[in-house]
Amino acid sequence: MKKIIALAEHRQGELRDITWEVLSKGRQLAEGMGAEVEVALLGKGVKKLAEALKPKANRVLLVEDDRLEAFNSETYQKVLTQLITERKPSLTLIGHTAMGMDIAPALAVQLKMPLATDCIGVDVAGESFALTRQLYGGKVNAAVSFRKNGPYMITLRSGGFPVVEKEAFPGEIVSIPSPLTDEGLAKRFLQYVEAAVGEVDITQADVLVSVGRGIKEAENIPLVKELADMLGGALSCSRPVVDKKWLPKDRQVGTSGKTVKPKVYVAIGISGAFQHVAGMKGAGTVIAINKDPKAPIFSVANYGIVADLFKFVPVLKEKLKELKKS
Amino acid sequence: MNFELTGEQKDIQKAAREFAQGEFDKEKILEWEQNHTFPRELWKKACKLGFVGIHFPEEYGGQGYGITENALIVEELCRRDSGVGIALSLVDFSSEVVLRFGTHEQKKKYLIPVTKGEFISAGAYTEPDHGSDITAMATTAVKQGGAFVINGTKTFITNGSLADFFVVLCQTDPGVKPPYRGQCTILVEKGAKGLEATEIMPKMGIRMTSTVELSFNDVRVPLTHLLGEENKGFYQVLEFFDESRIEIAAQALGIAQGAFDRALDYAKQREQFGKKLADFQITQHKLADMATKIETARLLVYKAAWNYDQKRIDPKLTSMAKMFAGKTAVEVADEAIQIFGGYGYITEYEVERFYRDAKITEIYEGTKEIQKNTIASALIGKLN
Amino acid sequence: MNIIVCVKRVPETADADVVIDKSGKDIERSGLVFDLNEWDNYAIEEAIMLKEKMGGTVTVISMGGEDSNESLRKCMAMGADDAVRLTDPAFVGSDGFATAKALAEAVRKIPHDLVFAGVQAEDDGFGQVGVALAEILGIPHVSLVNSLEVQEKKMKVHRELEGGLEEVVEVDLPAVLTIQTGINQPRYVSIMGIRKVAKKEIKTFGVSDLNLKPEDVGLSGSYIQLEKIFLPPVGEGAQMLEGKPEDIASKVFDILKDKGGLT
Repeated sequence: MKKIIALAEHRQGELRDITWEVLSKGRQLAEGMGAEVEVALLGKGVKKLAEALKPKANRVLLVEDDRLEAFNSETYQKVLTQLITERKPSLTLIGHTAMGMDIAPALAVQLKMPLATDCIGVDVAGESFALTRQLYGGKVNAAVSFRKNGPYMITLRSGGFPVVEKEAFPGEIVSIPSPLTDEGLAKRFLQYVEAAVGEVDITQADVLVSVGRGIKEAENIPLVKELADMLGGALSCSRPVVDKKWLPKDRQVGTSGKTVKPKVYVAIGISGAFQHVAGMKGAGTVIAINKDPKAPIFSVANYGIVADLFKFVPVLKEKLKELKKS
Repeated sequence: MNFELTGEQKDIQKAAREFAQGEFDKEKILEWEQNHTFPRELWKKACKLGFVGIHFPEEYGGQGYGITENALIVEELCRRDSGVGIALSLVDFSSEVVLRFGTHEQKKKYLIPVTKGEFISAGAYTEPDHGSDITAMATTAVKQGGAFVINGTKTFITNGSLADFFVVLCQTDPGVKPPYRGQCTILVEKGAKGLEATEIMPKMGIRMTSTVELSFNDVRVPLTHLLGEENKGFYQVLEFFDESRIEIAAQALGIAQGAFDRALDYAKQREQFGKKLADFQITQHKLADMATKIETARLLVYKAAWNYDQKRIDPKLTSMAKMFAGKTAVEVADEAIQIFGGYGYITEYEVERFYRDAKITEIYEGTKEIQKNTIASALIGKLN
Repeated sequence: MNIIVCVKRVPETADADVVIDKSGKDIERSGLVFDLNEWDNYAIEEAIMLKEKMGGTVTVISMGGEDSNESLRKCMAMGADDAVRLTDPAFVGSDGFATAKALAEAVRKIPHDLVFAGVQAEDDGFGQVGVALAEILGIPHVSLVNSLEVQEKKMKVHRELEGGLEEVVEVDLPAVLTIQTGINQPRYVSIMGIRKVAKKEIKTFGVSDLNLKPEDVGLSGSYIQLEKIFLPPVGEGAQMLEGKPEDIASKVFDILKDKGGLT
């Protein structure tokens, strides 16, 4: 039977979200191809993770080895080369992440396998696949095809594919012996470090909670600041807030302030003047909260909530607290 | 015919553009403009990268290029910001008089520090009673005990409170007719006893440069501070104007382009009556006119610079370039404000600064009227 | 320390209006400003800083037409010693893999201890070439490098992971590192640099100069090909979340979680 192998990604004992995305897409493609989906899990003492993966794939291919404790493309490549050579999947799916970017191109070269990276769309097209990628920093989408016959390797954009809940597989965990030896490595993992935290730089934040004129008083700023803290994000604002000296200039997003590109931008009480929009149109996802249903911010936001911020933000904070615990 | 910049010239243009883009901070500029602050750090950085004195020979700390390359730099700096661009492009103002007429020692002593960002230079020609007319100077220099003793007042002296040395045009022979045959250019260093600078402010634009009234009260300088030949000062300064006016024209060109860039961006973004401004034919025509004027000015400025570098000194062409580029800067900046509407009137949106700074290019280094005189006299010749 | 840096000249599209051309396979390039790929700018700076510290040479390689000389000259004006341009009609249409093959053959001809590439290019965004290049050359690689330190015949480098985490890796030399933006502050080109470059020549290698056959590269040597490009579907404004505030808040939580808004 045809197979798709998806690579599980985990770090510091936890599976990363991309794993579920890759598996979900893998399963969808497998259904279209009449194939099985298997997930490769490499690590040390990761049985628990294997159990978690079991319902999501026909098979969990578990390779355990002390030398696989932390990700190292060199060890991963050795293991995956053998695994893929033996199991002959039609397609290998890997996340386009720090890990995927470090392993996939080298693995594909070694396996002489056609590789398409950072895809945001993958569809079955006969024996091959129709791919969608982005060019020019996302300004343009491209339909891309493979020129050679498979088996193929595709890396998927993180967050580019929804995780679709489907009936659990009975699943099985297949332990595969590690091919690794004590032979020296050219690349050695030493440790993880948390990147140094400097002063607030809103251009670097993944999450921005941005506040506008709707906040009304300087005294109300902490309401929104707390939300930013809860999300691990930074607080930014639109021009009127700076004009009124409620926040320093370096927090301002917009034509005359900073241009930001967070993954998530929460606009609270911001009308969405184009001078502001110009500074945040590069945001991944925009959630806007405004009491005016006609506020232009809703035409650029992905999600809109028509509400009085003083009523809604406290509810949101409560809910986040509650849901983060569970 | 070839209207293409060389690869090297394009590299220089790009280097200046990247420097300006990377280093000109909008926030700081607003602050400098408001507080009349000269951008000292930027000046040092620009010198370190070889932008200042690019047209001086290597021997004197320069890069051995011509004034075409200098004009390209000036244009890019002013395009990014009119105020900073003008301030930086004028730091070596009048150094060219030393370069063209000074001795080897004078050039070593004064020009090398200019390129290194240690000295700022200034030229003192204009007097309260003589604007662009420098044919007779009230400031006198009298030889006395092995020194020149200078007395008089100069006004509108750019870099006045920043400069480390001044090139001063003095009447050394008051009796000679016509009086311009009795003038000398003399180097005066800052801090000379009897030299006093009084800042002239507030002023409409160029607020990041210093403009002063300079008074000389028995200022004594050694005779070795004479630049070039005695009694040739007037001719030296006129020759210098052939060069400096191209630089001012390049400032104007950059200002026009910068104002246009902003207006074009704005017109493409701003919506009125459900359409982008740029969708209205009236805006389209405005932009077309602005761009055409700029391109025309550019052809003139580059041709004047190129001519100069070919040693074909053509005061008529230089004056045309300066007059037309200045006029273009004022008109384009004016139209840019109009496209911005109310926002254009607000300091933060920059185009009003471009407008205020544009105006000086029609005034200093010879008003547009003086340029017309030069052009006309070259065309008509001497009528007896 | 002899370092090779692989660079690319790309159009700057971040602030530009992008229009699809008549072929439907590319964007309208006239009117766009081209420059050195942002990641490569950091890579070249890192290489020059290493050279200034440790001696040796920096050679830049780019694949492209004559226009690419502009970027190569810029790298030399910043401080690179030599530049090589890979140019041949056979290269046209190369994907990341085919590009890596050509670069590998060029790299083999130049003595090196270290090879740098940008993490990815602003235009095609493969994020693939550097790592594939290492594999073809048979040397180790580290991707997403945001700091590095040379030790005896090896390096200690930091890789940028997600969520503010980094990993520290030791790698033997020679190696290929793909350089992440922000690792340094790239210098400006100086007029002195431009003057030096004016006297320098840019070598060119075609397919026949490299140990390659025309079918190894270009479209025929590529694994993927572009069919057409199109503008991303335009959103029709926000999806409005309605209901009781508590329910909306739950939905917001899900969205935040999904889109990386909970860190």
